Amino acid sequence: MHCILEEDEEVLIDQDECVECGVCLHTEVCPTDAIYRPEESFVYPRAIRMQMSDPSAQHPAFKAWGRGTEEAKTNDVTGKFGHGEYGMLFEFGRPVTGTRLTEVQKITRAVCGLGIEIIEENPVFGLLEDKQTGLIRKEFLQEKVLSIILEIRFGADRLAEVVEKILPLLDDVDTVVSLGLVTRFDDKGELSVIQDLEALNVPVRPNAKINVGLGRPLIK
Amino acid sequence: MSHSLHRYGSVENLKNDFCIYSRAARGVNRENCGEKLRRILEIYLSSDAVNFGSSHSGKCYLAGLDLEEYAKSLDNSYGIIATFSDRKDVLNALKKMKMAKLGISTVVSGLIDEVKSIAEEAGLQPHTALLSLGIHGKRSVLPEDEILEIVTMCGHSLISPRLVRSVLEKIQNEEISPKEGALQLTRPCSCGIFNTTRCQTLVEKRPKTQQEGRCRE
Repeated sequence: MHCILEEDEEVLIDQDECVECGVCLHTEVCPTDAIYRPEESFVYPRAIRMQMSDPSAQHPAFKAWGRGTEEAKTNDVTGKFGHGEYGMLFEFGRPVTGTRLTEVQKITRAVCGLGIEIIEENPVFGLLEDKQTGLIRKEFLQEKVLSIILEIRFGADRLAEVVEKILPLLDDVDTVVSLGLVTRFDDKGELSVIQDLEALNVPVRPNAKINVGLGRPLIK
Repeated sequence: MSHSLHRYGSVENLKNDFCIYSRAARGVNRENCGEKLRRILEIYLSSDAVNFGSSHSGKCYLAGLDLEEYAKSLDNSYGIIATFSDRKDVLNALKKMKMAKLGISTVVSGLIDEVKSIAEEAGLQPHTALLSLGIHGKRSVLPEDEILEIVTMCGHSLISPRLVRSVLEKIQNEEISPKEGALQLTRPCSCGIFNTTRCQTLVEKRPKTQQEGRCRE
C-alpha cells in the first residue's frame, strides 16, 4: 500500500495511505511493539477501511468477516441467483493495489444508469446515498480500502449490454478490478455462459469456485 | 468473500491447487452450526489438508493457530476453509462430506474441468459457479507474473509483493530454503488458503538467475 515510510532513523505509517488491513499488527513484525490502532481507526468514516481490509474485523450490519458477500457460496440453499440470471462481482483494488471509493462510484453510477440491481446483502449497498443514482455517501468517497466488492444481478438477456456498456469503464478507474461472474450450471451440468462471454471477447480464466450442491434444503 | 477465486497462474501450475470452503447460510442453516463445522474440520484434517485458518483469529494453522482452540471457536463461526494440493485428497474429502450429510453449502476452487470431474466422481451435481473474468483496470500497477502467482493465493491481498521479493531474494541467496520461504509467506494469510505446497513448487521451478522487477510500468 506504500503506507510504511522510512525517514532517517524512524519508520512511520502514512495514515492517508494505510487501509487498516492489520497485517503489521497481526504478524507482530515490529521489534519494539510500537504499532497500535489509534481510536480514530474505529470511528466513521475511517472505520470502513478496517471493515473492508482486515478479515478479522466484522461488518456491523452483516456480522460477517471478510468483505461480506455470499455470492455462489450458499446459492444451493438461498437461490440468490436463479436460472436465467447472472451475478457480476467487481472487486476493486484486488490484487494488492487498494482503492479509494471514488473509483467504486464510477461504476455504481453507470450500473444504476442502466437500471441494473446492486445487490442489497452487500456492504457496498449500505454506502450508497442514493439507490437510484448510485452515488456513494460523500464522507466515504476519499476513504481507501484494500479491496471492496460491488455485486450486481441481471437477467441473462442483459449480458451483452453489461459487457459492452460497463466493462469499458473499467479502463478509466484508477485501480485494478478483479471481475467475477456467478452462473447456475444448466440441466446438463454445463456452463454455457463461457461461450457467450468468449463471443463477447471476455476471456474466462480456467479456474473458478464451484458450489458442489451439498447444501440442504437444496434449491433446484 | 470470493477470496480463493482469482488465483493467478497457468493451467499447469494451478492443477494441484484447491480450496474447499463450507459455509452455513444466513437465515437457512447458520443457527447452531458449530458441531457440523467441527465435523467438517475433522474431514479436512483426515483428508490431508495443506493448511486452514481463521480470519477472526488472525492466524492460519501453519502460522501457529491452536487446533483445539480453533475447534472450540467454531461455535461462533459460520464457515470453514482449507487448502489442498492433491486431487485425490479433494475427492476423498468430498466423498466423506457427502456421506456425512451435513447439509452445509460447499464450494471447491480449482480448475473448472478438474473440479467438475472430481464432483462427478464423488457423486455430486455442481449447482453454481463463480467464474473469474480476470483482472481489469489499471493493470500497469500490478507486479510481474511470478509475484502475482504468489500474492493471489491470499485473496484478501494481505501478502505484499515487497514481502515476496524479499523472501525470494533470501531463497536465491540460500539464506532460507523454499519450504521455509513458503512458510514465511503464509503468515499474513489468516484464512489459510495460501497453498504452501504450490508456493514451494513455484519457487523451486524459478530460474536461479531471475532478476526481480518492480512492476509492469
